[in-house]
Amino acid sequence: MATKILSVDDSRTIRLIVGRAFGPFDCQLFEAANGEEGLAAATREKPDLIVLDVTMPVMDGVTMLIKLKEDPSLKNIPVIMLTAESGHENVAQIGKLGARDYLVKPFKEQQLIERAGRIIPLQKKATA
Amino acid sequence: MNESNSMTPKPEISKAGEFLTEHVVTVFETMLSVQVAPLKKSSAESLEERVTGTAGFGGEGVRGVLYLHLSTTTANRFAAIMLGLADDVAPADGDVNDVIGEMTNMLTGGLKSWLTNSGFPCAISTPGIIRGTSYVIDSPPEVESQKLVFESAAGPVAVEIQMQFD
Repeated sequence: MATKILSVDDSRTIRLIVGRAFGPFDCQLFEAANGEEGLAAATREKPDLIVLDVTMPVMDGVTMLIKLKEDPSLKNIPVIMLTAESGHENVAQIGKLGARDYLVKPFKEQQLIERAGRIIPLQKKATA
Repeated sequence: MNESNSMTPKPEISKAGEFLTEHVVTVFETMLSVQVAPLKKSSAESLEERVTGTAGFGGEGVRGVLYLHLSTTTANRFAAIMLGLADDVAPADGDVNDVIGEMTNMLTGGLKSWLTNSGFPCAISTPGIIRGTSYVIDSPPEVESQKLVFESAAGPVAVEIQMQFD
């Protein structure tokens, strides 16, 4: 059974990069463009990992993370936060709220896979 | 909590420019595998048909805007690289806007971190895009500004910051 990854980012470019990073692995990718859509997708799909942007319209990533942690059915889903802000306070806040890890933009696809691989098992797709 | 106050020395905009020069090189190298090299002289005015990414920042004692200026041709090339398109496939304008917006977000996020570490914590806005021909962005005299210009194989890259400290 494929590992379910939920990418929540208002940038289609970043969602594409996340999808490309997990492309070689046996993963099923789901996408959402803001925190509100992300919560709905998380409730529906129960992903194994959420890759969550911080700065988004409608509902930002920090608010979505807080709501995830308040929901008993979603609170154990691990979250990797993507942020353009590397400041100590920002990173500390993300950690306090319960994100498993964070990645500061700009990032390489390989960095995302390394971080994800520490949290969930990633199996390479079988070649035909 | 990192708080600014009237005792926090105002950072010089040239120092912000030095930080951004390194950050621009890192962002383009990491996300696009494109080398950009700083130039001494500004040539942003020569960009005619242009795509400009813009994002604001503001907080305790500081506010401002960052602009990323590219010619349409250069913006299209960078978008094609980021999206993994073949050389003969032109990206849609919406996709170019998204790529340039995201690059602007990364540059502004870096500047926000630098300002916060300098004693001026602030927040950043989601990015926007301006498209047009031969426009000039001006600012009131009390606003400090700096323009950084870079060369790349895909064309010139200009980053402009306007900042005001209370």
